[in-house]
Amino acid sequence: MSERNVVGRRVRKVDGVKLVTGKTAFTDDIELPGLLIGKILGSPHAHARIRRIDTRRAKALHGVHAVLTYKDVPRVPHTTAGQAWPEPSPYDTYMLDSKVRFVGDRVAAVAAETRAIAEEALRRIDVDYEILPAVLDMEHAMDPGVAVIHDEPDSTHILDPKRNLAGDIHKELGSVAEGFKQADLILEREYRTPRQQHAMIEPHIVICWLDADDRLIIRTSTQIPFHVRRQVAMILQIPVSRIRVIKPRIGGGFGGKQEMVIEDICAALALATRRPVKIEYTRAEEFHMARTRHPQRLRLKMGVTKDGTMVAHHMKVLAATGAYGSHATTVQGNTGSKVLPLYRAPNLKFDCDIVYLNAPQAGAFRGYGCPQGFFAQESLVDEIAHELKMDPIEFRLKNAIRQGDTDLLSAELGEGKKGLPRIIRSCGLPECLSKGAAAIGWKEKRDAPRGTGRLRRGVGVACTMQGSGIAGVDFAGAFLKINEDGSFNLHVGATDLGTGSDTVLAQIAAETLGVSLDKILIYSSDTDFTPFDVGAYASSTTIISGGAVKKAAEKTRDQVCCFAAKMLEAAPEELTCKDDRVFGPSGKSVTMSEVAMFAFYREKTQLMEGASHFNTDSPPPFCATFAEVEVDTETGQVRVPHLVTAVDLGVAINPMQAEGQVEGAVAQGLGYTLAEELVLDGQGRVANANFCDYKIFGAKDMPKLTTILVETEEPLGPYGAKSIAEVPINGVAPAVANAVFNAIGIRFRKLPIRPDAVLAALHAQGAK
Amino acid sequence: MFDRIRAFHRPTSVAQALRLFEAERRRGGRGRWVAGGTDLVVQRERTLRWLVDLTCLPLGYVRRVRGGWAIGATTHMAEIEHSKTLLALANGILAEAAGTCGSRQIRNMATIGGNLANASPACDLAPPLLALDASVVIAGRGGRRTVPLDRFFRGVNRTALNGGLLVEIRVPAPPKGKAAWSYQKLGRLQSDIAVVNASAGVVLDERGFCTRARIALGAVAPTPLRARRAEALLEGRRLDGAAIDAAADQAAAEAKPVTDVRGTAEYRRAMCRVLVSRALEECARRVGRSL
Amino acid sequence: MSDLIVHVTVNGEARRWRVEPGDLLLDVLRREGLWGVKRGCETGECGACAVLLDGEPINSCLMFAAQADGRELLTIEGVADGEKLHPVQEAFLDHGAVQCGYCTPAMVLCAKELLERSPKPTEAEVREALSGVLCRCTGYKKPVEAILAAAAAAPKTRGKTARRRRAAR
Repeated sequence: MSERNVVGRRVRKVDGVKLVTGKTAFTDDIELPGLLIGKILGSPHAHARIRRIDTRRAKALHGVHAVLTYKDVPRVPHTTAGQAWPEPSPYDTYMLDSKVRFVGDRVAAVAAETRAIAEEALRRIDVDYEILPAVLDMEHAMDPGVAVIHDEPDSTHILDPKRNLAGDIHKELGSVAEGFKQADLILEREYRTPRQQHAMIEPHIVICWLDADDRLIIRTSTQIPFHVRRQVAMILQIPVSRIRVIKPRIGGGFGGKQEMVIEDICAALALATRRPVKIEYTRAEEFHMARTRHPQRLRLKMGVTKDGTMVAHHMKVLAATGAYGSHATTVQGNTGSKVLPLYRAPNLKFDCDIVYLNAPQAGAFRGYGCPQGFFAQESLVDEIAHELKMDPIEFRLKNAIRQGDTDLLSAELGEGKKGLPRIIRSCGLPECLSKGAAAIGWKEKRDAPRGTGRLRRGVGVACTMQGSGIAGVDFAGAFLKINEDGSFNLHVGATDLGTGSDTVLAQIAAETLGVSLDKILIYSSDTDFTPFDVGAYASSTTIISGGAVKKAAEKTRDQVCCFAAKMLEAAPEELTCKDDRVFGPSGKSVTMSEVAMFAFYREKTQLMEGASHFNTDSPPPFCATFAEVEVDTETGQVRVPHLVTAVDLGVAINPMQAEGQVEGAVAQGLGYTLAEELVLDGQGRVANANFCDYKIFGAKDMPKLTTILVETEEPLGPYGAKSIAEVPINGVAPAVANAVFNAIGIRFRKLPIRPDAVLAALHAQGAK
Repeated sequence: MFDRIRAFHRPTSVAQALRLFEAERRRGGRGRWVAGGTDLVVQRERTLRWLVDLTCLPLGYVRRVRGGWAIGATTHMAEIEHSKTLLALANGILAEAAGTCGSRQIRNMATIGGNLANASPACDLAPPLLALDASVVIAGRGGRRTVPLDRFFRGVNRTALNGGLLVEIRVPAPPKGKAAWSYQKLGRLQSDIAVVNASAGVVLDERGFCTRARIALGAVAPTPLRARRAEALLEGRRLDGAAIDAAADQAAAEAKPVTDVRGTAEYRRAMCRVLVSRALEECARRVGRSL
Repeated sequence: MSDLIVHVTVNGEARRWRVEPGDLLLDVLRREGLWGVKRGCETGECGACAVLLDGEPINSCLMFAAQADGRELLTIEGVADGEKLHPVQEAFLDHGAVQCGYCTPAMVLCAKELLERSPKPTEAEVREALSGVLCRCTGYKKPVEAILAAAAAAPKTRGKTARRRRAAR
């Protein structure tokens, strides 16, 4: 690796000072004269038809400027999922409808001069509901005679609405039936994973207004500004050119903002009132009316030969998408396509049904189907290794995909259509395993006697992978222009949701141009000024947006060299850009600023270049997660004193930011494993819609975290980078569950692993 | 949120506070006392028309009085947590319990009076105060009355206040002799509302026999409660492992837990047993008894 | 229009607010342009709204604006000295403790208060100081490291004794 000046450095975030001093940066940090507050009336019922809705009393309230119902807005079937067009999710959602399909579903929307007036207006909307039976049980949603959630005629791309089946996936590689015949050991197990909430600290928030040209401006906390623009245009039936979406700093997203959650209704209110309108979800609304992780039931059947070779693996998934199908087939597709191929079994089968329920809507969430799948697969792999009396690490290494392999399952399971085969050009999994094992003290701790005390310790491991961008689908644009002082404006559509992508992309540009980081002025995610980018999801920003930035920077550098060549009287190929200067073969140099001035004022040219980028492959980052747990056998509580994550991310453009991504993902993974679950009552209402009842890990709950970055130089990524944003969450649940087995000899196959379940299992074990 | 509030009073004396409360009550509409706001604001009663703020009253104190200690009702949880006086009282169980309440920010706002008057079944200060035979002093139109804490809690979020103002908490001096106290709290995570909380106190004579026992439980019934039958099992008996087991079993039987998002009823009952056991074991250790 | 006036010192400046009786401190602070104070849950759980009241961290979403009368408030806007960042702020930047930045103001304020009270805290004390600020981005590791680093780099001074809360004005 040649010497790098900016890439690979632990540089401060380019927006760091602004954030650490609390400067105006977020969506709500703006004063707009005439701002109205928008609020959505959420359904009190899980499933109902609106027989009659009377808004007269609400409209008559002083200070109310608009009240919208399904009668007032266009009826355009769409999906709220932030995906490239044509979206693979069903078009089953309406801005406002005459039917409600979950507690919290939109009934009406108001815009008023104050929050208090808006809330009072909601109370004055008279609604007569015809309550319908609610479908709340995933396992019976398709039964004959069960109420049909999507009985409307105009929704499209729902696989079988009459059976509440949003979609299904059935793919096989080889023949598992044949494969099982060769197996010496076959295990079949069932796993269950819960609804998890993103719980980002900044709720969903959007402000819409009409500018002086009567264009609709949408200032929103989103991961997908360009998709939002397209979706709002379609839903409100106005041209894309009449909309501008601006993304300020975002207070977290994690996939919950890879969704057009409230932009459409806010825009409709702004158009109806011709005033700026702000909608900000309360925390309770976040829990009811945003998105969740898809809950799944996974049934796995795995066959191995007695020497530990995996020969067949059949994964059957039943998932609930909630009331609407955003990301329904793609999240679950990932459960198959990113999970199964981690091991080189020649026979793989994935069957999945995704059903509707009258429950809060599921959507994208960090890991995107992988946390569910890997919890199941890595738990079962651990169990099989144990049965074979094989070391769990050795078993995984024996079967894991390797550099040079081709993952054919990805070709079968694309984003709603046939995908592309995945070639593994970089794989650091063996190094992740060995470094991680050393860091946790694997050998000593596995060999240590279990003891019979109240507190029992154990260690567990899990291997996981993800992708880096969606092959053949995700793309990004980047644009650079030079300024007189040798600085460059870098415009990217890429969306920084706190991940630090602005910094990482600026680093890539700076490295390529041979300038210092402070010479790159990055501006991102403004649909009027920045080129297109699909948005921040699928771990795509570093590799795809970074790829575009690198291309644009290379083209810009070439242009710089053309001008500098004239100034230095040399050939462009002989020049090197370094240290904010361009060096000629003789050692003479000009500064980047001098090049800019020359280009502007001598050559009358704005030095500027743009580029787009996409990949036809999605190189996986690999991750080994090691957990040490301590089980209190009196209370059933599981504590995690130490968690090690060793991740092959290709190359760390900014190691400090990369570590931060790992540590944040692990915290969410721990919550998923031990504490977080969105609980619904018998009427489909969220029972724990606040941070008191839905607990996320706090500073005192976190284990000691060890983060190990393994670099493998991926050819498809800028400077060898792959991705890191999602993969570290995937292995936490199985590593912890496997560690619990190591500690007390009991397998937990349902998340979260609650103390009462642990206690009950310990008692049952003791009773035997 | 509280857009219907017409008046926010900040009296500087208890007498003035009572007068204002009564005057607003007569004017009409629903109103409340407010101190730290950590329960009231969360409860979001948008029909509230008036509030009487207690934070300007001279009720933030911890002082020695004849026969014990007095804690002013608007003393913050943070002050109780760090009070040297309370750290030295009864093995510091009051300070310890206050320190488990919410977060640092919450403890800087929440008051002992508010914590008790809110009467959450999981109220963290109730078990140690019950174990210490505390009582509350209520000021009202007819003067002041003292109510033992175990008669103060009437139901979920219901107390014997009857519109009066809780002004002071009285903790009698524990009996002389070998005494020890313990506080235990179980939450799902480190900072949580109790799944179960418990407090125990024992007084032993020279032979190691228990002359007085107190066992108080929280989050396992509509109100915090004394497990009196469990206490009776210990009194007159040597404090040993068998006694602790019996008392813990009995205390668990006296609990009336429900299932909620924090835990099932069965789990809570089991944890009653565990926490009482741990509390009594800690008492034994503190008093120097090996079991 | 209410005639309730609140006199408060914010970041060293005397301010005079006209508020409604039911106004909450968080809403008034943001209305007055102090946008560094964040709204996250409005139930005192996430701590994003934390400010220092007479030097002690509190959740501004749970306090009535009227209760701030006569008090001193410090928000994130008052932490840096002009362009000179506070050592905690510098440490947060150097250690990658800022990701989305939404909880950062609250963390910085709680850390500042901790280091004034306890200049060389243990890791447990740092975590306790942060226990009332929920972060979904960092896993808390780098914020804790940053605060410990800021403490280690600071010259040795005696910590202020724990402030006793004033019982009444």
